[in-house]
Amino acid sequence: MFELIDNLALGFSVAASLKNLGLCFLGCMIGTLIGVLPGVGPVATISMLLPLTFTVDPIGALIMLAGIYYGAQYGGSTTAILVNIPGEATSVVTALDGHQMAKQGRAGIALGVAAIGSFIAGTFSTLVIAALAVPLTRFALLFRPADYFALMVLGLMLAVVLARGSLPKALAMILIGVLLSTVGRDLVTGDERLTFGWSEIDDGLDFAVIAMGMFGFAEILRNLETPEARDVVRNKIGRLLPNWADMRQSAMPIVRGTGIGAFLGLLPGNGAVLGPFASYTVEKKMADDPSRFGQGAIEGVAGPEAANNAGAQTSFIPMLTLGVPPNAVMALMIGAMTIHNLVPGPEIIVKQPKLFWGMIASMWIGNLMLLIINLPLIGMWVKLLKVPYRLLFPSIVLFCCIGIYSVNNNPLDVYLTAVFGLFGYILIKLDLEPAPMLLGFVLGRLLEEKLRQALAISQGSYWTFLEHKLAAGMLAVALLALIVALLPMMRRSREKAFAG
Amino acid sequence: MQTVSTTPNTETRLSRDLVAGLFLIAFGVGAYLGMLDLPTRDQGNVGPGLVPKASAILIGMLGVVILLAGLLPSAERLQRGTWRGPVFVLGSVVVFAMSVRTLGLAFAGPLAVIISSMADKDSRAVEVLVFAALMSIGCIALFKYALRLPIPLAPMFIGY
Repeated sequence: MFELIDNLALGFSVAASLKNLGLCFLGCMIGTLIGVLPGVGPVATISMLLPLTFTVDPIGALIMLAGIYYGAQYGGSTTAILVNIPGEATSVVTALDGHQMAKQGRAGIALGVAAIGSFIAGTFSTLVIAALAVPLTRFALLFRPADYFALMVLGLMLAVVLARGSLPKALAMILIGVLLSTVGRDLVTGDERLTFGWSEIDDGLDFAVIAMGMFGFAEILRNLETPEARDVVRNKIGRLLPNWADMRQSAMPIVRGTGIGAFLGLLPGNGAVLGPFASYTVEKKMADDPSRFGQGAIEGVAGPEAANNAGAQTSFIPMLTLGVPPNAVMALMIGAMTIHNLVPGPEIIVKQPKLFWGMIASMWIGNLMLLIINLPLIGMWVKLLKVPYRLLFPSIVLFCCIGIYSVNNNPLDVYLTAVFGLFGYILIKLDLEPAPMLLGFVLGRLLEEKLRQALAISQGSYWTFLEHKLAAGMLAVALLALIVALLPMMRRSREKAFAG
Repeated sequence: MQTVSTTPNTETRLSRDLVAGLFLIAFGVGAYLGMLDLPTRDQGNVGPGLVPKASAILIGMLGVVILLAGLLPSAERLQRGTWRGPVFVLGSVVVFAMSVRTLGLAFAGPLAVIISSMADKDSRAVEVLVFAALMSIGCIALFKYALRLPIPLAPMFIGY
């Protein structure tokens, strides 16, 4: 207990420095600014804004990136409520009742309750992360290579099961990511792999190149083809602060949503994505009059928004303690950390306590800032929603170009990003979602490294994965998840859950 | 953006999953052929070819599964793509890559904005020109001066 307080105190002493407060604020602002734009989700926002953090020191960069992430999330909810365009899967639920509330002239209340719910969820999740970080790290240090390998397989498998759309397609995308991660000179044997004699990619493909190609450029191409239907609310935004009755109605949904979201976010594999769906279902089941849902029920905004933010935050845990990202956003975070020469995993908390606890403390500060800066700025966000896409996408193109060039100051990276933009466009046309690929790409190298270590220890025997209880258990769960998802009954309900 | 009258029929007769399956098979086979000489074993240890080759084989196999699903009569049709978007958006990126070192950001920036704008039929010339100038000035101020990223401004005229 005292350890926890000590750690948090250390964290706040780092995060509350003027510079880091400024970076956190800047991150939240720009994150919201970009995240609010229709058709730009958190992954695109973060990959686009990555270069802004290059010149900052690692801790400042991470604080800023985390701020960008929360900002983008919050911006996404704003868009979902006001325009009914959910930026990503997790704000689909918010759009259901949030947009109805907006149409009834209660947009301000919906935004206000979303912000308050998110803040409460964020505060609780920060404590959860702080409390679990040390024990989980100790546990993670016990992991042998075989266990690590099994954990990553489990994470990837759960991510496949929880991805929307077809199972074989998501699996294939993860494998393409793994395959692309092996491109370049093999670090152990020195062999060139899939470089086709092209020495420029000896060091492997750059993470930023793939992320911006697939989520920056390919997304634009996707958006250009879908006719734009923006249903911006014309009503007044109205009062922002919920009244006493609204608050009483939302209090329990926020508490339940926080619990559900925080728990699901902890799971390896993209559990956080289920949070809002689960919370919505729970609230609908518990309501006295379920027919209100879909017609602008405030519980349908409060609960899922809390779950969304709680999950967004606790999904940092697998990334920070184990070095295993559960979703594309965390994969981006790992990519950003590697750009700053930080290797995520159990060592980071021991070797860089200031960085680790500073980042955790900044999570809470970021949530507080969002609450303070966003409510007064709603008017500005509404104006941004009206920026036409024909001006928006050229700006994104320019931002991405400058960003990729700045990673290594190399025009070659820019060419390669264009190639991945085309690749991503083809994938989207074929209904192959790019998000799992990014996850596979980031985990690929670690996966291969641990496989090698595990088999070196066991002298080449694959039985080692079954001899270690932990590894065997995780592989069994991974297999079970796959089988369950393939059962016809589960398949149908899975399709229903992601139909939004 | 697009209006209904200009895009009468966006569906092709091809099954989307059939094409996706073929694409994945081609990807897997192509990757496998590209690393035939990589050994999967290395003196009793995992060789450099094991993970990429295994991935390529599995990608191909999943491709077959998806292809078979695409043969069902209920399979969704492939939506027709447009050339306009990819050509101008990705073209502008290529132009940026070619010009950033030689002409510098002061030229590569507006070029990227102007060329990518052509991806949208409804873009207006004057608006695009004004916007390109404003965006470029903004980006130069932000990246070159505020963030001090080492990106050439206009090397041929006023130096870095």
